[in-house]
Amino acid sequence: MLNPIVTGAALVAEAPAQGGNLTLDLLREHAPAALPGWSLPLITALISVVIVITVISLLAMVSVWLERKVSGHIQCRYGPMYAGGWHGWAQSIADGVKLLMKEDMIPLGSDKALFMLAPALVLGAIFGAFVAMPLAPDFYFADIHLGAFFILGMSSLTTIGVVMAGWASNSKWSLYGSMREAAQVVAYEIPLGLSLMVPLMVAGTFNLLDASAAQSDYWGMGWFVFKNPFVIPAGILFFVAALAETKRAPFDLPEAESELVAGFLTEYSGIRWSFFFMEEYAAMYLMSLMAAVFFLGGFESPVLHVARQAEWHPILCNLIAATTLIAKSMFGVLVMMWVRWTLPRVRIDQVMTMGYKYLTPLALLCALGAALWEAGKAWIFA
Amino acid sequence: MSDQATMREPISAREWIKNVWDGFYTTLAGMKITGRYLLQKPITIQYPDERMPIPDRYRGIHYLEQEKCINCLACARACPIDCIEMDAIRHGKELEWVSFSVDYQKCMFCELCVYPCPKDCIHMGTEFAFVTDDRSELKHDLLSYKGMSREARIRMKEAEAKKAAKDAAKAAKGADAKEGDDA
Repeated sequence: MLNPIVTGAALVAEAPAQGGNLTLDLLREHAPAALPGWSLPLITALISVVIVITVISLLAMVSVWLERKVSGHIQCRYGPMYAGGWHGWAQSIADGVKLLMKEDMIPLGSDKALFMLAPALVLGAIFGAFVAMPLAPDFYFADIHLGAFFILGMSSLTTIGVVMAGWASNSKWSLYGSMREAAQVVAYEIPLGLSLMVPLMVAGTFNLLDASAAQSDYWGMGWFVFKNPFVIPAGILFFVAALAETKRAPFDLPEAESELVAGFLTEYSGIRWSFFFMEEYAAMYLMSLMAAVFFLGGFESPVLHVARQAEWHPILCNLIAATTLIAKSMFGVLVMMWVRWTLPRVRIDQVMTMGYKYLTPLALLCALGAALWEAGKAWIFA
Repeated sequence: MSDQATMREPISAREWIKNVWDGFYTTLAGMKITGRYLLQKPITIQYPDERMPIPDRYRGIHYLEQEKCINCLACARACPIDCIEMDAIRHGKELEWVSFSVDYQKCMFCELCVYPCPKDCIHMGTEFAFVTDDRSELKHDLLSYKGMSREARIRMKEAEAKKAAKDAAKAAKGADAKEGDDA
């Protein structure tokens, strides 16, 4: 269903229109004349990459800390309290330093090349998916017309990294974990894509910027969830499928620390291990950002509407938009954590049953209903 | 969701819808409970900084009122496992402390050492955390000071001075008497 090579071709074929990219426009205005014209898009790309990677890494670090605090408070304890002073805010930094300092262990019987490639592939794929994810209406890395498609494709590429890690580890627990991951992702790609179809039908576009802009009516509250009744169940289905897609509890069968030691992570340690964790949190944000864009109104909120009406400075407007989007995705991530610390892990056959027998038919029903609703709306208002 | 990984009878549409609803509803019910816990104050305390209130009659590490102790060995004799050792040198009425140790490798915190004390100077304290990385340190010295206290030293000096004065007076008296005898 999702082929990154095809989407990559679509990327090249449908090159973004000129203008609109705030960084590029600013560079065009203010860059010294000595810089050749062809270098400006490259510099724009570099700046965007640095900002996107920094933001995502920081969000991942913050959410690791947040997850520990949330899990602690759900279990009536405090979680980290010492590192850094205020409620252990520096715990993630301390953990990161510790992981960097650890010995880089590669098991003797493992396939060294694959073992070393797997974390890089996983992290590269998830950061690659962020290429199509705009952080603000005028700040994006690539304005891809098939953005949603591209993101789903890239995020399912991480599965290959996980299977690679499991295979290269030369350990049966790792292999079990990665086999589960493969089975799970195959099962849940379908409801994920189908439930995403519903807001895509309402939006009439795969482009994330256009989809967000389509929700700017009604004082910034014209979110797709309010426009079509089938978007709400589709949102819930998307959330459940995204949980399985990002290997989050209750679908964390590939890891399954109590039965498979740590699944595909068993043989990993140090910085390679932390790459997998970074991928998990980045994937959580990716899925939450997708949910925010397609179900919760993207950048749009009454605040942004007011800012646009008052014609505030574009940089300020973009900052408001970025904050809105990240706050919405933060909400999604928080709910993911909440679910994780509520539900126990389900069994592999239950995961399969749920994916194939429940989520897929429900997503199909939602897609059908939304299509009929949209068709009816077009027929009535035509 | 059903319970067995084997082939199953197909379920009716009604049951399917019930399963969907149950899955949805039970998840929300669980999240309601965890959400309530998330918002309430944690019941744990930050241990080394805060401590649980300890009952008055808690039997923890001993503490010794060294000034009162008369080195009578009553506690050491009362100890059923002989883990108390004490040693002091007597200077008249004052004591020069050498050691008063309880071996916490053996001590079972029975409180039997507390009752026989004639001066009521050994007690069970409230401290319970006594962690070391060396076994020998578990033989814990209860003395707050070694040797003699300042007060004891002063008292001893006073007593010595008094005694010296008394002796001198006695000697003088004796000499007077001798002179008188001679005379």
